[in-house]
Amino acid sequence: MSKLVLKFENAILTEVAMGAKEVSIGRSPDNGLVIDNPAVSHYHARVFNEEGRLMLEDFGSMNGTFVNGQRVKMVSLKPGDSVVIGKHSILISDSREVTNPFPTNGNAGKAAPKINETVMLDTKERRDFLQKVAGAGESAQVAPSRVKVATLVVRKGKTDQTEYTLSNKLTVIGKSALATVKLKSWFAPKAAAQINRRDDNSYYIGGADKVPTINGQPVIHPTKLSAGDVIAVAGIELEFIYRE
Amino acid sequence: MVSQAAMEMEFGTRSDTGRVRENNEDSFRLAPELNLFVLCDGMGGQASGEVASRLAAETIVAHCREAEANPALPLAGERIDGASEAASRLASAVRLANRAVHRAAQQNEAQTGMGATVVAALFTDERVIVAHVGDSRAYRLRNGELEQLTQDHSFIAEQVRHGLMTAEEASQSKLQNVLLRALGIEADVEVEISEELLMEGDSVLLCSDGLTHELSDEQIAAALCDADEAQEAASRLVELANHAGGGDNITVIVLRHAPKFAGAMAKIGRWFKGS
Repeated sequence: MSKLVLKFENAILTEVAMGAKEVSIGRSPDNGLVIDNPAVSHYHARVFNEEGRLMLEDFGSMNGTFVNGQRVKMVSLKPGDSVVIGKHSILISDSREVTNPFPTNGNAGKAAPKINETVMLDTKERRDFLQKVAGAGESAQVAPSRVKVATLVVRKGKTDQTEYTLSNKLTVIGKSALATVKLKSWFAPKAAAQINRRDDNSYYIGGADKVPTINGQPVIHPTKLSAGDVIAVAGIELEFIYRE
Repeated sequence: MVSQAAMEMEFGTRSDTGRVRENNEDSFRLAPELNLFVLCDGMGGQASGEVASRLAAETIVAHCREAEANPALPLAGERIDGASEAASRLASAVRLANRAVHRAAQQNEAQTGMGATVVAALFTDERVIVAHVGDSRAYRLRNGELEQLTQDHSFIAEQVRHGLMTAEEASQSKLQNVLLRALGIEADVEVEISEELLMEGDSVLLCSDGLTHELSDEQIAAALCDADEAQEAASRLVELANHAGGGDNITVIVLRHAPKFAGAMAKIGRWFKGS
């Protein structure tokens, strides 16, 4: 009996055994083989047995189904064929071969984990994947040519400095002894708001005793700061900028 | 300066196997005298997940206890830039836990491939320091609003962060359980640290994915708000997750920074109720 092995880049994500019934492939959760990707149609294709042969049919999908490099409508499959849908590929495998759906943690060859069990992506796949997504996203991971220092410039209100460098993981705005941005007015709250530096060096502001605003919009949930944002809280105004 | 001892956290905890699994691979350790609370979720065959999560949690508490007695105790790994002393210490403890699990996995055939996630909270100086690796989470409840303080180190979360998948698609995905980081897998691990301001009345929740796969943020927030005591909230959360399916082990630690006055009033109330 054959099985379908779903891969993303080089990582094996899951596998489905071909029984007597057909296996439908698509983005919708009710498919036999679900591929979570916008490039995949809700009901993209199916694989089924016909007179002892394994067949693949594309349901007229938007982005197509490719077998061994050719776009196909209906073809017969043999073990070793690779079906490509978007960035995912499905390897047609003879299930007599022992394959572990998650070649992880060095436990290859042992019983495959149950599908709901937490597993690790294997080291190499993980590094490759992280590199890929870093490339797909902003160029935050690319070393900047000049070092940028996140800074708050005081535009209005009484504080102990006119400018603050955001070098800490946590910056508190308030009257408290622990506050970095110290408020001077009599009735200022102990902690009006907080700014967190995350591991990717992005900065998020959230309320404490007060609800701050960014460019006039109230901050209900912690919100990422961008250069030029003006924060108003507890009677002061701060501009968030990067100094080179 | 507000001393560490002056911050008193009210806490409640509960760990449950759930309704599907046979073993509970989650572990937790509480060290209220250090204001340190640790939760780990193990993985690996032949009951090694339990070994990994227990070893990780114990190692973290042991290192912090040792550092309390001897502040000059060397750190494992680098000091964290722009973070408090306590944050660097907690990260050090998590790195040691990684080494301990990794070593045990290498030395024992039956434990090959075992690993664990961790989320740990350390309260000090009106702030909470959260260290995490994997998909166990920390949340903060402030004025009825629930905020997730940790970003999962998972395949799905990473795709969402980079805009390759929407939150909606992620919630439907069958790849929820694929992690990008865990303790014990490699000789070194990158520990994510965050520092958060803690205000009177705030609650912090540490939980394993058995809770968050079953309950929405709204359900979690409601359970935290409705309970009079942290222990009551912890028990309620586990009951709700079991009611919703209990597909995995469920462990929660609920921590409250109660205003001193309200705390005293609750105690007096309990005396009157005779409990």
